[in-house]
Amino acid sequence: MIELILLIGALIVSLIIVIKSADVFVDNLVEIGAALGISQIILGVTASAIGTSLPEFGSAMIASLSGSTDIGVGVVIGSNIWNIAGILGITATFAGVIKTESRDLKRDGLVTLGTGLILIFFMFFGDIGRIASVFMILLYLVYLWRLIKDQKKFDAEEKVKKEKLVEFDSEKEFESETKTSRMASIDKKKLALVCVGLGGLIVGCRILVYSGVELARIAGIPEMIMGLFTLAIGTSIPELVVTFSSAMKGLHELSLGTVLGSNTFNILIGIGIPALFMSIPVEPLSMSFDAPFMIFVTVLLIVLIKTGGNKLNRTGGLILMATYITYAVLRLYVLA
Amino acid sequence: MLVIKLNLITLHNRLKLMSEKMFKKILLPVMGEYIDELAEHTLEMAQGKQIEVIGIYVIDTSVPFLTPSNVKKLMKEELSQRGDEILANLTSKFNTPSTYMINLKKVIVEGDPAEKIVEIAEKENVDIIVMGTGKSIIDKHLLGSVSEKVVHSTPCSIMLVKTVN
Repeated sequence: MIELILLIGALIVSLIIVIKSADVFVDNLVEIGAALGISQIILGVTASAIGTSLPEFGSAMIASLSGSTDIGVGVVIGSNIWNIAGILGITATFAGVIKTESRDLKRDGLVTLGTGLILIFFMFFGDIGRIASVFMILLYLVYLWRLIKDQKKFDAEEKVKKEKLVEFDSEKEFESETKTSRMASIDKKKLALVCVGLGGLIVGCRILVYSGVELARIAGIPEMIMGLFTLAIGTSIPELVVTFSSAMKGLHELSLGTVLGSNTFNILIGIGIPALFMSIPVEPLSMSFDAPFMIFVTVLLIVLIKTGGNKLNRTGGLILMATYITYAVLRLYVLA
Repeated sequence: MLVIKLNLITLHNRLKLMSEKMFKKILLPVMGEYIDELAEHTLEMAQGKQIEVIGIYVIDTSVPFLTPSNVKKLMKEELSQRGDEILANLTSKFNTPSTYMINLKKVIVEGDPAEKIVEIAEKENVDIIVMGTGKSIIDKHLLGSVSEKVVHSTPCSIMLVKTVN
């Protein structure tokens, strides 16, 4: 009993360490990037894309490297199902609506769906090996390049809009901040914080995976289940807080973009990078049920948004939540 | 009949007196929606008299624990940009020949929306706050309401414009 309490405690503490460390790591890495003169657009897009997904990536990577590949794959697929059905379901139910532009849904929604199908395609061949890994990493780089290109275009449009606004609004009383990218010397403190963040991420993920594996052993449940639910939901806490709070503030693009971007990252990098170092075995049930279910919830999300007039409304949110509960019941009680 | 007529005249005079005496300075919190309705009611209150309207947009900086720092910054930037756009939109509503009597002052602040609205109302010594009822009953129960919070601690009169059917 004491062992169980200690492991649950370790799981919770390590989750907080992992999430905070990922934050410190990305934040200071961006500062260093800016000091090196890397474009603010590239830094902004990259930080947003990987910021919330580092906990999933870290735990999938550590799990795979320490031999618990089932947990690694489970975290990725479980997170992707939870991100859409759980997080977007909860957010749309409480916030009332999540809006999106047709262009964004087309780009991010189809990329998320496409990466899911690519994963299934590689799963058909058995273990996920180095060729699949290189393909997935390259694909992610292309996606990142596209995001940066779109952001540049958006920023140029916003600049024109802002100039018009200032011209019209001649009595403007408040000052607006201007973003500048400047070359500066690298702050040693920031460099140290990057190392602390990375160290915290590795140690935190190791404790997280260890406590997950031990809890699975004590409870007599498969490691895959631990990855699909406990670790997947735990490592998706940043996505939950960002998606929920941004929808509440009316920042709908950020809300949906966080989830779809995270799902793309989870597959292409969360599985792609570990597969570079070792062959990732595919569990039959994840091939026949979990991965297809992930595709199903992605299609369901796109259909719900499309039929709602580019909006995910409260009814859509409730449908997604019901879908997640159905998945959990089927996976834990019927197929286990 | 005469009594009713007299009462109506008294009421009309009282309203006229109220607008002449009280509503020289109006605080108009805007969040992006229902600007047309809010501007329309503010103009009605002005009744052609010279008044000062303080248009305020509050950047809600509260985020849950474990929100990544870069996302916090991104949210603040996005909300600040939106505030600029909303206040520019409000300016266009009060920048017409028929609204010459409105002297619009724009304020963007960061913090809790309800707290900041009350704080600015006190600081600027406004006569009345005009704001929308905003959300539906379900949303009010699930999310809470800024207007309800302001009602409980407002230092002046408040006019709630029904913005949801």
